[in-house]
Amino acid sequence: MIINDNFSAIRKGLLEFLVLKIVAADKVYVADILSQLSGTEFATQEGTLYPLLSKMRREELVDYEWKESEAGPPRKYYKLTAKGREQLRETDDYWQKISETVKQLGQGASKSTN
Amino acid sequence: MNKVIIINLNGIAYQLEEDGYEALRAYLDSAARRLEGNPDKGEIIADIEQSIADKFRSVLGANKTVVVTREVQDVIAEMGPVQDDSFRGPGAAAGAPGASFAGAAGPAPAAAAPGVKAKRLYRLREGAKIGGVCNGLAAYFGTDVTLIRILFAIVGISFGAGILLYIALMVIIPWANTPAEVADAHGDPSTAEDIIRRAKEGYYSGMKTFNDPANYRQWKRKVRQEWRQHRRDLRDAWRRNKHDWNWSWHWPHHDQPPGQPHVYGWWFAMPFAGLLSALLTVLFILALLSLVTTHAIFGFYLPYAIPFWLQIVGLIMIFNAFKWPLRAMRYGFHPGVGPAHWNPFIALWHTIAWIGFLIFAVWLLHHNSHAHQALDAAGDQVHDWIHQFKNWWDRQ
Repeated sequence: MIINDNFSAIRKGLLEFLVLKIVAADKVYVADILSQLSGTEFATQEGTLYPLLSKMRREELVDYEWKESEAGPPRKYYKLTAKGREQLRETDDYWQKISETVKQLGQGASKSTN
Repeated sequence: MNKVIIINLNGIAYQLEEDGYEALRAYLDSAARRLEGNPDKGEIIADIEQSIADKFRSVLGANKTVVVTREVQDVIAEMGPVQDDSFRGPGAAAGAPGASFAGAAGPAPAAAAPGVKAKRLYRLREGAKIGGVCNGLAAYFGTDVTLIRILFAIVGISFGAGILLYIALMVIIPWANTPAEVADAHGDPSTAEDIIRRAKEGYYSGMKTFNDPANYRQWKRKVRQEWRQHRRDLRDAWRRNKHDWNWSWHWPHHDQPPGQPHVYGWWFAMPFAGLLSALLTVLFILALLSLVTTHAIFGFYLPYAIPFWLQIVGLIMIFNAFKWPLRAMRYGFHPGVGPAHWNPFIALWHTIAWIGFLIFAVWLLHHNSHAHQALDAAGDQVHDWIHQFKNWWDRQ
């Protein structure tokens, strides 16, 4: 519970990165993104995802096209733009650096106290 | 039979039960408020409506054409509260009222503005097993229902008191009937939930600096201050609950504003409730006497498994469970009644009504042979009980 509360801000910040990753892999619609995130620490809901996607589209990171679906009305399929691909690469690099730092800092501290 | 309202979601008509419609409207209103100022507001709302429509379609079929309230609530919970961090428009701060509704079943809406609406203790029908008490308590404290149920079960099995407590709470806590009340039951985490959250967050970090005595003193002072504030908040919230609950006795619908009432039933209802509670008190004393002397309540033996002291405690609890609503009803029927607002005219009327009842009772006893005999017999019975009580007392 405590961990959950402390890291909710981190999860929120990382959500955009993860959505970029999911959209980069394949053209997806919202239900795909939700189902890929569900079961992970980043499980989210439409209420959060729609505003986020619209923000990402405003920033020209993603774009969508309407596609007919077998059942029901046409759906929005999201795909990455060139700018989005660039952003994903940068974020990915940054993330690698962060996780490296997290790994090393813990070990360094334990060595220096010994 | 429920009224059905037809709505249009992105060009397709859906039939919703009335309460479900209210819930959906509240959700969409709060979504619109939260997206106030967002350049893509219209598009996001359309996306959300489309998604809701998809979910509605999945519960409908050839033999089912109406979306019932529970299904609407499930869909809203699945959608989750609309959270928009991308845009901080002028409406972002003001957009919070009603937004707490969407957080009802979804993950905690961290963005909810503080102090919008105080949490209320209600019994919740949604997912209730018996009387919705555990459900309501769980929502109030922001914990899992199962945990509360297990607690009740443990207390119930080992002491028997849990069952009585449950019944008492069932009598005391009102049902959440409207979507707004359901929202209030989950509410804004300003009281109970907040205490738990703060305890989790703040105090641990403070404890790390304990080796410094000055820090420790400061921490202690801060904690004490905060707890005092929490206690005050909680007490206020409880008072508000009680006040509202009193109101609900003559305003069957909570959503009516608790303004000055135009209820003329109080002059009749107040002495009547008073008489009932007086009768209840007499009955309670007689029952207690009979339990102490004969180990049975009016000849009815309680199971041997329950120890004697617990039988007495149980009797007192049952008495209180019945007496409290009566008291609240008396106070609830008029704003000027109750310990907080003592009004000489009402007190006078109360006394006159009481004397009237007494005179009537005496007259009845003198002119009705059956009642006379019953009273005589009751007198003997009470005398008998008191005698037995004396014997029992001497033996101790």
